[in-house]
Amino acid sequence: MAGVSTDSGDTLSLNLMPMLDIFSILITFLLMSYSTDPVSYDVNNGVELPESITLSTLDEIPTIKVTKTDIIINDKKIAGIVGGDVDEASRSQGAIFPVFQELQKMAEATKRTLAGKMSEIDKARLSTLTMEMDQGHNFKLMKRIMLAAQQAEYITFKLMVARQGE
Amino acid sequence: MSKKKRTKKIKYRDIELNIMPFIDVFSLLNTFLLMSAVFLSVGILEVQIPFLTSAPPDKKADERVLDIKVDMEKTKVEVTAAYNKPPINEQKREFKVDKADMPNMHKFLVDLRRANPEADKVQLFTEDDVIWKDISMVLDTIKVRAPSDPVVVPAGASELQKKLAAEFLFPKVVMASVILR
Repeated sequence: MAGVSTDSGDTLSLNLMPMLDIFSILITFLLMSYSTDPVSYDVNNGVELPESITLSTLDEIPTIKVTKTDIIINDKKIAGIVGGDVDEASRSQGAIFPVFQELQKMAEATKRTLAGKMSEIDKARLSTLTMEMDQGHNFKLMKRIMLAAQQAEYITFKLMVARQGE
Repeated sequence: MSKKKRTKKIKYRDIELNIMPFIDVFSLLNTFLLMSAVFLSVGILEVQIPFLTSAPPDKKADERVLDIKVDMEKTKVEVTAAYNKPPINEQKREFKVDKADMPNMHKFLVDLRRANPEADKVQLFTEDDVIWKDISMVLDTIKVRAPSDPVVVPAGASELQKKLAAEFLFPKVVMASVILR
């Protein structure tokens, strides 16, 4: 028990046991919920992920974030979303042209960096995109983004979901 | 001299345990854990989209294989399984897009996979107005192997295929609606 002395010489004792109890419970809870996933990532504030029972964990930070109002690629706003779709000026053949341009730039930069020393795993990774998308968006928007990505030679998508029961 | 019965007096002393270092360690541990805590565990659902390739056609193109198609609308999902060559043996089932009917769809897919271990691909066709929340629910139903489901490994499977079979019911899901207009 910790104590302090007052000017008059009295000793006041402070009972630390309740605090220790709280600390112990808190530490137990935090240790139990401690994540050992390979990537620790905080979901964007503007995104509500759908729940899933998948066991596959996130292995890279998402490249494309589709919030309720914006499409963001590598932390750069590429297009705005109004009424669940992008504006008509950004559309081209059903895809989103600015998204295609940005992804193409990204793909070319990666190819330049890995030129000549690409393994099969690197090649597969080159054609894979991780996407974080709000659960309320419809397939029309998702399709536009996927089409733009397809034109930039990305054919595999890792779609982020919130794992249930975790 | 009279014998006096001697009684031993046990002296108790107040011993104070210094718990301050203990509290210090707890505080630091607490701070670290709170800072690094991730309260939402994020997972992924992997899908593919169709693409054009100049690669030579697959040798298996002549084989009789089962094509599984899932047509998703806002309120219903239709699963069609048919062979690409006669006899086609088409099987068709319709399900509602809700959590209550998804186990039935999963069971139908498990039966299909069990009867056709080689068929590891599903083509998902989705209407434009279906929301991502519902798509993810259907993807879960198609892809994720429940603990009670059998592990279906095709004959002559590689190590990778065995690993995928242990985790997924159908490892390959192609979002077949993603095509240029």
